[in-house]
Amino acid sequence: MESLDQLLIQASARIDEADDLEILASLESELVGKKSFIASTRRGLGRLPSEERPIVGAQVHEVQTRLQQLIDDRRAVLQREAEDRLLEQDRVDVTIEGYEPPVGMHHLLTQTVDEVVDIFTSLGYRVASGPEVELGWYNFDALNTPPTHPSRLESDTLYVEYGDSSDEMLLRTHTSPMQARYMEKHDPPVYVVVPGRTFRADALDATHSPVFFQIEGLAVDEDITFGDLKGTLAHFAREFFGSERKIRLLPHFFPFTEPSAEMHVSCFACDGSGCRVCSGSGWIELMGCGMVDPNVLEAVGYDPQRLSGFAFGMGAERIAMVRHGVNHIKHFYENDLRVLRQFS
Amino acid sequence: MKISLRWLEEYVDVPTSDPIEVEAVFASLGHEVEGYEVLEVPFSKVVVGRVIEIEKHADADRLRFCRVDLGEDELQEIVCGAWNFEVGDVVPVSVPGAVLAGGLEVGVRAIRGVTSHGMICSAAELGLGEDQAGIMVLDPSTPIGSDFADQVPLPDVVFDVSITPNRPDAMSVVGLAREFAAYYQTEVRMPEAEPATVDRPSAVGVTIEDVIGCPRYVGREVDGVRIGPSPLWMQQRLRASDVRPINNVVDITNYVLLELGQPLHGFDLDKVADEKIIVRRARAGETLTTLDGVERDLDVLDLMICDGESIVAFAGIMGGEQSEVTDATSRVLIEAAHFHPPSVMFSSKRHALRTEASARFERGVDPNLCALAAARAAHLMVELAGGEAFADVKDVYPSIIAPWQVDLEVEEIERILGIPFAAETVAELLVRLGMKVEGSSPLRVTVPTNRPDLTRSVDLIEEVARLYGYDRFPETLRTGPSGGLSNAQKRDRRIREIMVGLGLHEAQTMSFLGQSELDAMNLPDHDPRRAAIRVRKPLREEEAFLRSTLLPNLLKAVQYNVSHGMPDVGLFEVGKAFLAEPDSEDPRIPHQPTHLAFAMVGRSGPGGLHASLRPTDAYTATGVVRALLEALGLRAEIRQVASDGFHPGRSAEVYMGEQLIGVAGELHPAVGRAFGLEGRAPLPSSIWRVWWQTATGGNSRHPAHIRGWSSTWRSSSTSRPRRKVSFDRHRVLQGIGSKKSSCLMSSAEVLWVKARRAWHCV
Repeated sequence: MESLDQLLIQASARIDEADDLEILASLESELVGKKSFIASTRRGLGRLPSEERPIVGAQVHEVQTRLQQLIDDRRAVLQREAEDRLLEQDRVDVTIEGYEPPVGMHHLLTQTVDEVVDIFTSLGYRVASGPEVELGWYNFDALNTPPTHPSRLESDTLYVEYGDSSDEMLLRTHTSPMQARYMEKHDPPVYVVVPGRTFRADALDATHSPVFFQIEGLAVDEDITFGDLKGTLAHFAREFFGSERKIRLLPHFFPFTEPSAEMHVSCFACDGSGCRVCSGSGWIELMGCGMVDPNVLEAVGYDPQRLSGFAFGMGAERIAMVRHGVNHIKHFYENDLRVLRQFS
Repeated sequence: MKISLRWLEEYVDVPTSDPIEVEAVFASLGHEVEGYEVLEVPFSKVVVGRVIEIEKHADADRLRFCRVDLGEDELQEIVCGAWNFEVGDVVPVSVPGAVLAGGLEVGVRAIRGVTSHGMICSAAELGLGEDQAGIMVLDPSTPIGSDFADQVPLPDVVFDVSITPNRPDAMSVVGLAREFAAYYQTEVRMPEAEPATVDRPSAVGVTIEDVIGCPRYVGREVDGVRIGPSPLWMQQRLRASDVRPINNVVDITNYVLLELGQPLHGFDLDKVADEKIIVRRARAGETLTTLDGVERDLDVLDLMICDGESIVAFAGIMGGEQSEVTDATSRVLIEAAHFHPPSVMFSSKRHALRTEASARFERGVDPNLCALAAARAAHLMVELAGGEAFADVKDVYPSIIAPWQVDLEVEEIERILGIPFAAETVAELLVRLGMKVEGSSPLRVTVPTNRPDLTRSVDLIEEVARLYGYDRFPETLRTGPSGGLSNAQKRDRRIREIMVGLGLHEAQTMSFLGQSELDAMNLPDHDPRRAAIRVRKPLREEEAFLRSTLLPNLLKAVQYNVSHGMPDVGLFEVGKAFLAEPDSEDPRIPHQPTHLAFAMVGRSGPGGLHASLRPTDAYTATGVVRALLEALGLRAEIRQVASDGFHPGRSAEVYMGEQLIGVAGELHPAVGRAFGLEGRAPLPSSIWRVWWQTATGGNSRHPAHIRGWSSTWRSSSTSRPRRKVSFDRHRVLQGIGSKKSSCLMSSAEVLWVKARRAWHCV
């Protein structure tokens, strides 16, 4: 059956030359369709002598299978090419801003507060908030601040008109009143951070605002030491400003802590060699802290002979300003979207 | 306070002159240095000379021609325009080649035909003061021909040290010298305070009528003083400490104040009626004209110094004009008294009159310093003003304030500080700080009267830590038993995250409101938000009240952005509002609920090339509310209600059960206009009381079992009478669900609304 072999050779060349799907379809019907040579040969098998029949039959089958395979392969190629052409036509410029769902932004202050709070919750601290309009007792007396202390004057503290005049009613000047409120309600040990708004009778300038955020920390337990205060604040500084940071404590004074200290962190911008961020000193003043004064523990009914503790308080605006180089506190309360959007 | 390093070194050896090292010592002792200034000699080639001859300049009436002895063979010929010196006076002379303060170079110059070899200088020309009217006439004993720079206590470094309020003892040069001596383990050299005295009785009489206000009064008489300028070194030190030199007697009282920390006052004794001093409280209606020329109405709590006739000084704060020391003064009464700190503090605040003296008295000056300071001032007046000090000192001190004892258990130090200390180490540290220490367990510590801050063992522990060095304690870490946010705090954060996810920006606005902002909200008189809590003494009109609603300040923030070129703004805030009703947990204080507010203006929605921005309207407001509730898993009902301050037909109230939790909708155009947002309506806004009470343990939800079937959608229609019921998705679901009970309805959406306010659902 030379003619079959011949057919295969000729047909495969034609299949390769078919360059669109329609030509390929008519070729398919010509080669393997009902009117094809293959089909008529198959139909003529019955007329062959019985000994030739299986040999020719097998040959026909093989040629037909191979032709069909060639056609299918070619079709797949042509289909892929056709799709590629279509995809090329569908091309769009995806670098153009298309259809963007709106995205808001957390305020830099809450971002800062949340970040600080999370550092302390991972150390096993609870989080408390407290009233912003507060009794003079909690803001001052319970914190070992005598009635004659200058911070109680109206030039420093904002008082409000509420209730009968027997209670001093004021806008808390720090988050520390929550120390007393929290200890009144909870038995030791106490590990708590208190973020919140605080108020002073200050006019707005680059570093002062009548409203500002503080984050207070308090730990009261048996055998809490000055070393624990240092270690805790060093941990905070490394988490917040980077693992290379060192801290130092310098003696200071607050009525509600003894000993008291001011906490400085080594400058993250220059690594302590001195730059504009740290005014050339290599250190940045971050917060006030100290060991809880025994009078504060006594005022809430804790036994200062058995318990000791430390407290610290930082200004959220201050640490955000230091970290991001914000140069005026007004940026926190103006809510200028062009400013807020920069702190994603 | 500002303190010169040279002055400090007069009382204590400081082994370094590097300002950075000195600053570090101050800091480690707890005295923060706010800055320092290096002072150099501001001139060169200025020589001390004596004026030998003065002639009038031949061609100029106002100039004089002088010959000056500079210690050389020939006299220097100099033309001078000043007239305040005579032949024989010793003066500073700049010779050719000299450079004066401000950079003026001195050369040989012809002045109206006469050659001048240099200049005779004024204090201003030498950078040593403001006086440019006349030549600086020096002490006649100054060596002729010597370099004038040797007479000036420069170079020097002036430190601006911030002293904490608990350390009145450190508000003086000697006080800081004590700190340095303790740090460097060396001794303090006390200044001389033993004046040569005359042994006549002084006629001065001192009476204290209020021993609480004034526990001690020392009056010391110095006669025969000659008023003149104080010596250059003293002027220089005063100026370095920002005190203006006036005359020798006044300068001495100020000098001793800075040196020892005891405020002094010098009276012209001839003007003290009857030479009597009486210390008493002011009487109603009395007035005093203080040295600054202000006549002050006095309060019955103000403590006064009086003479035989009237009030002469404001005790511990400022002297009066009438008895002040003038050029004519020859008899001086030095006052060195101890005043009760709160008394001085309240008077100083009441009259807004803060002085070097009041700053010290209100913190507490050592009551046992009075006599020493008076003696020191008398000593200087004898030495520098030619006075005669009386040995007869009037010292009224009815009950002596003695040093006190504090017991200190050594183990207690380790409990607080974290490392063990030996008793000997503690004793040594405390002795260096001027205390006496006896015994060992406990240590019995005697505290000197200049340290009113040390009354308890914990105060001594701080002193141990301070001198030992805070930086020498190890860093250890303690952790709490269990931490984390409360459920309410978690929900607070969640709300902020959802609002941000909905495309709004978080704002932080002030907690105050002004009357005009409150009025602008268009609220009826009975609205509780109108009864905002008043700030007693607000600094500004817009801080007169505490915010009873977050919305006004948020609208101001929106307006700020609109007026700065950003037309599409969406802001929200989570913060406390203040209501004039008692708090449920602590009824002594007002209720301070946490509110959420949001405000949007312009357009909202997805942006970009294929943006589908749409103008914000009431549907934007309620849409945000619905999305927030859905994300929180809360079920609430939005009812069509004309809410105060809102567009009457485009506002809604939000209910959980029968509890009103918020309002949403478009602002009333009048309110928009009042906030400068006219023409920008609709302005959807919402005030929102977050339903905190459900926060405990989170809402327990009962989710329907979702079976493994695929979802199908059906549309359906329903209707309601207009204005009667609110659309409630859940109610619609239940309605459809009951009709076709075989299917499990899980969600519904409004597809379109037909006329007559009917809605259709899928």
